[in-house]
Amino acid sequence: MRRPEHLLAALVLIAGAALGAWALWPTRVPDDLRLPALDEREVFDPEQLREAQHFETFLHWNALASMIAVLVVLGLYAWRGHRLARESAAGRIGTGMLLGMLGLGILWITQIPFGLTELWWARRYGVADDVGYIEWLLAYWFSLAGEFGFICLALVIVMGFAQVLRGRWWVAGAPTFVALYVLFSFTYPWLVPADRPLRDPALLSAARAYAHEQGTEPIPVRVEEVSSYTDSPNAFAAGMDSSRKVFIWDTLLDGRFADDEVRMVLAHEIAHHSREHIWKGVGWYAIFAVPGTFLIALATRRRGSLREAQAVPVALFAFVALSMAAQPLFNVLGRRMESEADWVALETTEDPDGARHLFVHFTEFALADPSPPAWASVLFDTHPTMLDRIRMAEAWRARSESRSHP
Amino acid sequence: MNGRPVRLVVDDDLRRSRLTVFFRFFLAIPHFVWLGLWTFAVFFTAIAQWFVTVVRARPADPLQSFHVAYIRYATHVGAYMALAANPFPGFLGEPGYPIDVELDAAERQPRLTAGFRFLLALPALFFLTLVNGGGSAGSTGGGVVISGVVLIVAFLGWFACLVRGEMPHGLRNVAAYGLRYTAETFAYLLLLTPTYPTSEPTLPASAGPTPQHPIALFVDDDRRRSRLTTFFRLFLTVPHMVWLLLWGIVVVFVVIGQWFFALATGRPAVPLHRFVAAYIRYQTHVGAFLFMVANPFPGFTGRPGYPVDVHVTPPVRQSRWVTFFRFVLGLPAFILNGALNTFLIASGIGGWFAALAIGRMPEGLRNAGAHALRYNAQVSAYATLVTAHYPFSGPPTLEPVQAAWAELLPAPVDAPA
Repeated sequence: MRRPEHLLAALVLIAGAALGAWALWPTRVPDDLRLPALDEREVFDPEQLREAQHFETFLHWNALASMIAVLVVLGLYAWRGHRLARESAAGRIGTGMLLGMLGLGILWITQIPFGLTELWWARRYGVADDVGYIEWLLAYWFSLAGEFGFICLALVIVMGFAQVLRGRWWVAGAPTFVALYVLFSFTYPWLVPADRPLRDPALLSAARAYAHEQGTEPIPVRVEEVSSYTDSPNAFAAGMDSSRKVFIWDTLLDGRFADDEVRMVLAHEIAHHSREHIWKGVGWYAIFAVPGTFLIALATRRRGSLREAQAVPVALFAFVALSMAAQPLFNVLGRRMESEADWVALETTEDPDGARHLFVHFTEFALADPSPPAWASVLFDTHPTMLDRIRMAEAWRARSESRSHP
Repeated sequence: MNGRPVRLVVDDDLRRSRLTVFFRFFLAIPHFVWLGLWTFAVFFTAIAQWFVTVVRARPADPLQSFHVAYIRYATHVGAYMALAANPFPGFLGEPGYPIDVELDAAERQPRLTAGFRFLLALPALFFLTLVNGGGSAGSTGGGVVISGVVLIVAFLGWFACLVRGEMPHGLRNVAAYGLRYTAETFAYLLLLTPTYPTSEPTLPASAGPTPQHPIALFVDDDRRRSRLTTFFRLFLTVPHMVWLLLWGIVVVFVVIGQWFFALATGRPAVPLHRFVAAYIRYQTHVGAFLFMVANPFPGFTGRPGYPVDVHVTPPVRQSRWVTFFRFVLGLPAFILNGALNTFLIASGIGGWFAALAIGRMPEGLRNAGAHALRYNAQVSAYATLVTAHYPFSGPPTLEPVQAAWAELLPAPVDAPA
């Protein structure tokens, strides 16, 4: 901050970010909501609970080890990776793309043992019985193509801006990435593989009613076919404006979940749309993109900024390290939006029993630990714990009862 | 191919009798029957020879002579069928046919490689299927039929011979290459030699000089391959594929414009020629990288200087008739190019495994890939009006074998400054 205009610009950005955060932070969950104390042993079958805890504890440690390995490997790559530029006959940007792709490739190799361990563990617990090791490796291998394409696009943008703006590429880079994030969010519903329309008339009618109740236009509901490789249940909301859709996995419709539970899922996903969570996600991304790109530009300054291909390994390391550092914060934001979707779903369906059964079943079928250790929750959980979600359902029940019997 | 135990001898003047070409398949029927019987016998003698060789570390002489004659006879029949030679061959595999094979039968064979000979020969047999074609898979009628290069050559050569009374030089040389590789593979399989077949696409000088062509390929590659970039090669090419596709869309429109321009003025427009030439260079660079013919990650502009590079001469006058009918005239080359691309993919896959294992690209596979790339570049140049010179499909001729690949390819007629 050597010049006053820099200081002024920084202050404007900070003020803008603070204003944005202030606007995005509030939710429909009442501020004075107190979640009741619940003993997990009263809610869940003790055997089931023990199994879920055992299952998830291993996965948490495996994921933590994977994170550490990634940091170490990318650290080494940042230190020595620029030497691989000798394998390129391309120009600056082309060589940068090669180094970026090789960095991802090395990362991919690093994660294979952890991925295989996770699969072995999931198979042991019957969560991924239908997935073979070779099948998993091949799928994992082919997912690289998309990642390579994505990093090339990102590096073309960044290195192109760096050519003109040198160390200040982030000023143009951050808004461009936000624009790309919007584009990706908008087009994502068309990228979901193997999906079909939901045909159950009762569920379709419920979805229409919930959208109306939540004050939004009807949202198409589609079923994603995943049962060939997992038994885990899940659903998600995707798209913006005219591309909005709700996707539910076919594992939710295989008879293990009662209709009121599936309706609760629908109400929850529709709430993501009615509360504009995808747009809010864009807002939060924008708030983090500016300091994030600035810090990457700062980290790569000694290697000639991202004008030079040799800076790409450092940029990759900085990006991954910053993402990991910010992950707990992203998780807080994610959990906040999920809580709001739960709350709106409860307001819509007025069915706390359905919610409670759903979350108990999630624990049973996905082996989700209802109350993971705090460190694991901070690092990995994008959703509230199952126990907290059940507590919210009970809090809604208590509040509803007090409203009807003042 | 000097110094190798299996050598192809080409003494063919390219002239063909239209009458025998027209009935070639039927005329060869007695040879099919005789070859079938001979092959049936060889199946058992080969097993006997295998036992003898594994026990004694040297093959039995009478069986060896029998197998040498068999390979020579099969080569003669193959040459007759592929139109690589004109006269009706004899039935005893005697030397002296215009496309012939010389074999130095080995006296001693390492027991270990002899013992596992069939397994070791599998990659060569797979490559052979791509070279010669005819392999099929599937039992429901929807299986995959592999159309090999030699099969396509025979198909195209049949029409050419009927029209011109002469086998095109390039096509004859491709067939000769296939026959040489086939002979080497069977000599290896039948324990006549412990030397593994080479996919090196060069032919002896007797096959005739390689004609000069305005589109020339130059290879300046040390065959070293980075294992890391080799492992991820397919995906590292993703951005190039995207760029090639986008550039290719523009090239389509440019070529349409060029076609009208060349029809009107009798020569291509220089800026459009330069634009398309850069695209052809870039396409060759990407192909070379993807199929392991070169090591470094290529640039995105098609600028000269890549280790496997194409030299394109400046535009010259082109016949308006040839320009007008360019697409129709190019059809045979497009078909052959399709077969050679299969060949390129096979050499790339083989090279991928080899480079991962030893960090180097085997010379034969590298050169086989380069040969396919050169033809590919010539076909592209012909199709996009960069040149009116018809692509030359034949592999280069070589004497002596030690010459570098760059030297065995024709020098550019007018290399850019």
